Amino acid sequence: MSDVVERTLSALPGLLGQHDPGAGPGGAGGPGRVSASSRLGSLIRSITALTSKHEEEKLIQQELTSLKATVSAPTTTLRLMKECMVRLIYCEMLGYESSFGYIHAIKLAQQGNLLEKRVGYLAVSLFLHENHELLLLLVNTVVKDLQSTNLVEVCMALTVVSQIFPREMIPAVLPLIEDKLQHSKEIIRRKAVQALYKFYLIAPNQVQHIHDKFRKALCDRDAGVMAASLHIYLQMIKENSSGYKDLTGSFVTILKQVVGGKLSADFNYHSVPAPWLQIQLLRILGLLGKDDPRTSELMYDVLDESLRRAEINHNITYAILFECVQTIYTIYPKSELLEKAAKCIGKFVLSPKINLKYLGLKALTYVIQQDPNLALQHQMTIIECLDHPDPIIKRETLELLYRITNGQNVTVIVQKMLDYLKESQEEYAIISLVGKIAELAEKYPFIFLN
Amino acid sequence: MIKFFLMVNKQGQTRLSRYYEHVEINKRAMLEAEVIRSCLSRSKDECSFVEYKDFKLVYRQYAALFIVVGIDQTENEIAVYELIHNFVEVLDKYFSRVSELDIMFNLDRVHIILDEMVLNGCIVETNRNRILAPLFVLDKVAEG
Repeated sequence: MSDVVERTLSALPGLLGQHDPGAGPGGAGGPGRVSASSRLGSLIRSITALTSKHEEEKLIQQELTSLKATVSAPTTTLRLMKECMVRLIYCEMLGYESSFGYIHAIKLAQQGNLLEKRVGYLAVSLFLHENHELLLLLVNTVVKDLQSTNLVEVCMALTVVSQIFPREMIPAVLPLIEDKLQHSKEIIRRKAVQALYKFYLIAPNQVQHIHDKFRKALCDRDAGVMAASLHIYLQMIKENSSGYKDLTGSFVTILKQVVGGKLSADFNYHSVPAPWLQIQLLRILGLLGKDDPRTSELMYDVLDESLRRAEINHNITYAILFECVQTIYTIYPKSELLEKAAKCIGKFVLSPKINLKYLGLKALTYVIQQDPNLALQHQMTIIECLDHPDPIIKRETLELLYRITNGQNVTVIVQKMLDYLKESQEEYAIISLVGKIAELAEKYPFIFLN
Repeated sequence: MIKFFLMVNKQGQTRLSRYYEHVEINKRAMLEAEVIRSCLSRSKDECSFVEYKDFKLVYRQYAALFIVVGIDQTENEIAVYELIHNFVEVLDKYFSRVSELDIMFNLDRVHIILDEMVLNGCIVETNRNRILAPLFVLDKVAEG
């Protein structure tokens, strides 16, 4: 895949002399690239040319004054309003609050045509937060768009609801969204499920009555809709795994199908089928199988297969393997699987690739209490990692060691922690380590007697 | 959970920011400056994950641009590392070999793409065609 082409800012003045947007966006070939001579372009160009924060402040204040006038003017077209919104988003991104524009964002979402409406909704999702007083004004627009015959508008409304919505107005839109769960188009069903996930997060009792609809989504013929339901299930199972044990078979079957390549090729990422979906499923299975031999029994096969299939040497495969290993160690133990998982951890820890080493250490930290032998097996590598030039690796190793501290090694480990403290500047890391040292000192008071 | 998604260049200029947990505007600039400083202090031989306050940063560099994602302890660092690349591949497809300029001048479109992929701090869509479909439709309508 092509890398990001660098056109450095030093080349900016030269490039801005031409009106060459280059190739448009792939596929639909729409207006795509904004040319550098647009208002946003000239704003960015001016900011880039400045050298001091003070100058930037002056320029942005000027810009905001101009924008304030434009958005309040009755003659401003919606098209211009959309451009203003993007500039306001830019100003806020730089740290300059532009609250005068918020109401106009809502208006743009209300009155604009498709792209204008989308930008209005985008601006609202960026400007406002959960408890903002203006949020109520969004509801009417959302209700209207949810009932639109134009599916793109329905999608937009569902997207914004998934991002930000006033909790007390959920009843106003809930029936409309429930209705969308049966829509013929997968994108609508999928986005409806995402909106319900949002509602579950902010007001779980409001969606109590529709749990059977979540089940329908889980069994949807479209993988995207099913995947959307997994977020809700992960949350619900985290809170109460016993209520969902009966779904274990379904999750196992779905994972089997994904791993077995039953999804269409466009769900692949570098030849790996829906990797993030696999990860979600592995997490759910972990929660369901924990401390439960009968439920765990149902998963051993698919976990074995996942371990086997993830042979490709790509980062994303390692991510899946890591989750597999974690799940295997979380659920009721099965020796063959544990062996394979331990091998996998070994490969990670010994890997010359630093990201994998980190993952290996993280995995070791997770499993070490269940399998202290693993630490023994890899003790040379662990010792090497203690003196690794990368402070993050060092830190992760200390985390690991903290978990296998005993009477014999505590003095050495505490010494290493103290050494790390001397070098570290990170406040939270320091606090965390000091806490651990204090704990160890309480447990092994003799370490001070030398 | 993903806490935030940032695109910041080596000079510390933010090109895109999305926060999935509310952070006050006046605190954001400082956060972004600290985050980029953290990433810039790392060498090529060090891992792509660094601690920041009580959560972690997963970062990936593309030319002069850093994409930095803040995550809590429930996330799989390498999965997020690859999510970043997936995002860049989607941008590559849309802009035909994306550059920092494309991102700067098409801030709204890049946000629209990101909105299709991450919601509420969760990864919701990674299928490239599905991510871009809504934007392609918007472009077609705007053109016609």
